[in-house]
Amino acid sequence: MLIEIQEGKALGPVAKHITQETINLYAEASGDFNPIHVDESFAAKTPFGGTIAHGMLNLAYVSEMMTLAFGQGWVSGGKLRAKFKESARPGDTLTISGRVDCIEKKDDVSYANCNFECRNQKGEIIVMGEAIVRLAGDGE
Amino acid sequence: MPDKTISYEELTPGYKFPPATYELNASFVSKYRRAVDSSGDGFVPPLAITACAIAAMTKSVPLPPGTIAIHASQELEFSKLVPVGATIECRIGVAQKIARGRMSMLVLELEILDKGKEKVQSGRATIALPT
Repeated sequence: MLIEIQEGKALGPVAKHITQETINLYAEASGDFNPIHVDESFAAKTPFGGTIAHGMLNLAYVSEMMTLAFGQGWVSGGKLRAKFKESARPGDTLTISGRVDCIEKKDDVSYANCNFECRNQKGEIIVMGEAIVRLAGDGE
Repeated sequence: MPDKTISYEELTPGYKFPPATYELNASFVSKYRRAVDSSGDGFVPPLAITACAIAAMTKSVPLPPGTIAIHASQELEFSKLVPVGATIECRIGVAQKIARGRMSMLVLELEILDKGKEKVQSGRATIALPT
């Protein structure tokens, strides 16, 4: 169900629990079998001390929240800029949320400027960034 | 699709990797949706398309053995919906290569086209590599 878009409107939250199975499923789907994600004995010897989720898995959850809020406006007219700040690990519960910062109009087309973040259960930021979504123009 | 003709040291801004082609069939989309725990319609989730490009990227970049590449940031622009069953082409090039202390940063440009050569997505990925 799409939200009514207005400045200050909250996006989400969407909550997701990460398991090693989730990470393995993502590796199989995406074809990204980097051992830092899927090889527990390899990952244990790295500075991470264990496996971590793919950054793009975390970003997929952000995109899910944006799709729930904006529908087709997001999937065929969205832009995002994301920074991966920390790694999500098996056992983490991620909460993805955001907000519509402002709505701008350019050439009769409105754009929603949003921020988003993904935090783990300790409140640490895993991913943060900004997104712009093209809203319907006056004539549309 | 690793590009065996070039080493990491030889990568320079402007270098283009050989394009990679993917068929976004129902089996792939279903596997992806299961992995990210989402339901959907007859279209491919935009991040599933990006996942193909990132996979192509990680297979393309000839990293030194044992290197752990960290995905530091990602920019994306979604231009077009893609139906399940479509074929896409991922084009990846080197935009920047930066050495910063004990880290090396590789900025890659991504462009994803459909069969009709229309742009589906574009973006930039920054990969950090401890040296």
